[in-house]
Amino acid sequence: MHEHPLDLIAALADGSLSDEAEARSLIETCHQCRDEYLAQTEVIAWLATAPAVEMTDLEKATLHRDLWTELRSQAAKRSATPWWQRLSYVAAGLFVIVGLVGVLNSGVLGGGGEAAATTTAAGAQAFDEAPTEEVPFVAQGSDDGESAPEMATETTAAATATTDATAGEDSLSLPFEELADEARARQNDRVVAESAEPDFEQCLSRVGLDDHVVVDQIDFDQTYLLVMRRDPEAERVVTFVVLPACEIVYVG
Amino acid sequence: MTVPGNEAELLTRVVSGDREAFDAVMRNHQDRVFSVCLRILGDREKALDATQDTFLTVFRKAGQFQGRSAVGTWIYRIAVNTCYDQLRRAQRRPSEPLADHVDPSDPTAEEEMASAALRPEIEAALAQLPRDFRNAVVLSDLEGMSLPEVAEVLGVPVGTVKSRVFRGRRLLAKHLGNQNDQ
Repeated sequence: MHEHPLDLIAALADGSLSDEAEARSLIETCHQCRDEYLAQTEVIAWLATAPAVEMTDLEKATLHRDLWTELRSQAAKRSATPWWQRLSYVAAGLFVIVGLVGVLNSGVLGGGGEAAATTTAAGAQAFDEAPTEEVPFVAQGSDDGESAPEMATETTAAATATTDATAGEDSLSLPFEELADEARARQNDRVVAESAEPDFEQCLSRVGLDDHVVVDQIDFDQTYLLVMRRDPEAERVVTFVVLPACEIVYVG
Repeated sequence: MTVPGNEAELLTRVVSGDREAFDAVMRNHQDRVFSVCLRILGDREKALDATQDTFLTVFRKAGQFQGRSAVGTWIYRIAVNTCYDQLRRAQRRPSEPLADHVDPSDPTAEEEMASAALRPEIEAALAQLPRDFRNAVVLSDLEGMSLPEVAEVLGVPVGTVKSRVFRGRRLLAKHLGNQNDQ
């Protein structure tokens, strides 16, 4: 049974063969091959009549505008990276710190006097090397100046959190300032728990925050409620209340 | 404003947030990306959305470009996958008929018909092809990509592309033959 090299016929039809001799001979001797070749060339010629597709100038301008709007929006959201993600970076750094402190104090690698400098550097390095999913957009011009300072603040705050953690504290602590910024940046009145949580309500009442609502709940070493004034026109102050002690631990 | 540097260099600058470099990449490829999306999706608005999504992905993933292909090939692969994602979300055939309200005697009708995908008969014929055949034919015969480039964009071997292009054209030839008989 004669096998027809279909790819050879197709290549002859679209002119992509460097040496057409074999293909030409084939279509001269094989009727079916010639029929296939003619069909292929007819389709190629027909498709060539399709007009070029281009965006209009308006569509291009709209595309650029919408694209940069979306990128700025995503950058603003990334400046409020989930607290647990940043916390995981801090925790990773502190694990390194704790581990190195243990090793150094055991005298394996040398005097303890070097421990502080070494662990601080290790902690900072671990934080810096923490993987980031996306690169935050930093505009070259001034038209996106708002996002750049926010990200600088984020980096500074996170570094501060790391530094604070290595400054002698034995346990992890929440980055309150960053979490407060996050809660404000979300600009919503998302209520995690209202009257459905009598414990929360009672606690808020006890600490004089009756006019507040819970906008977030963080379960860390303890449970932290982030509360804000119910009135959307009020100053957007975020208060951290820890449970079960029901004490205000941070206001920012 | 012309931004100097080859495209791989431009992508490196995009990673560091260089807006001008990203604008340059977009200018170089936006028309072709849009064309590919329009020919796959068959709808101008969807193609514009897919074009935007494509460049959002390009921006986010610029740091992952490893230089194993041309930047354009990499971008068009993203475009094709973006269109596939859109089709999956829509769960419908990629082409739609022209709007019923288009009146050929209306002076604006020509513009509206031009805003539709392709020539209607070509669009209709392509819409009848199986997706794999259609995309191979679109990229090869309408976008003018070489077979190795089509293979790279579609993520399949060159031999597979050759087969799909051949069979896609063959089916289109049947469609043409049926039209000529009418």
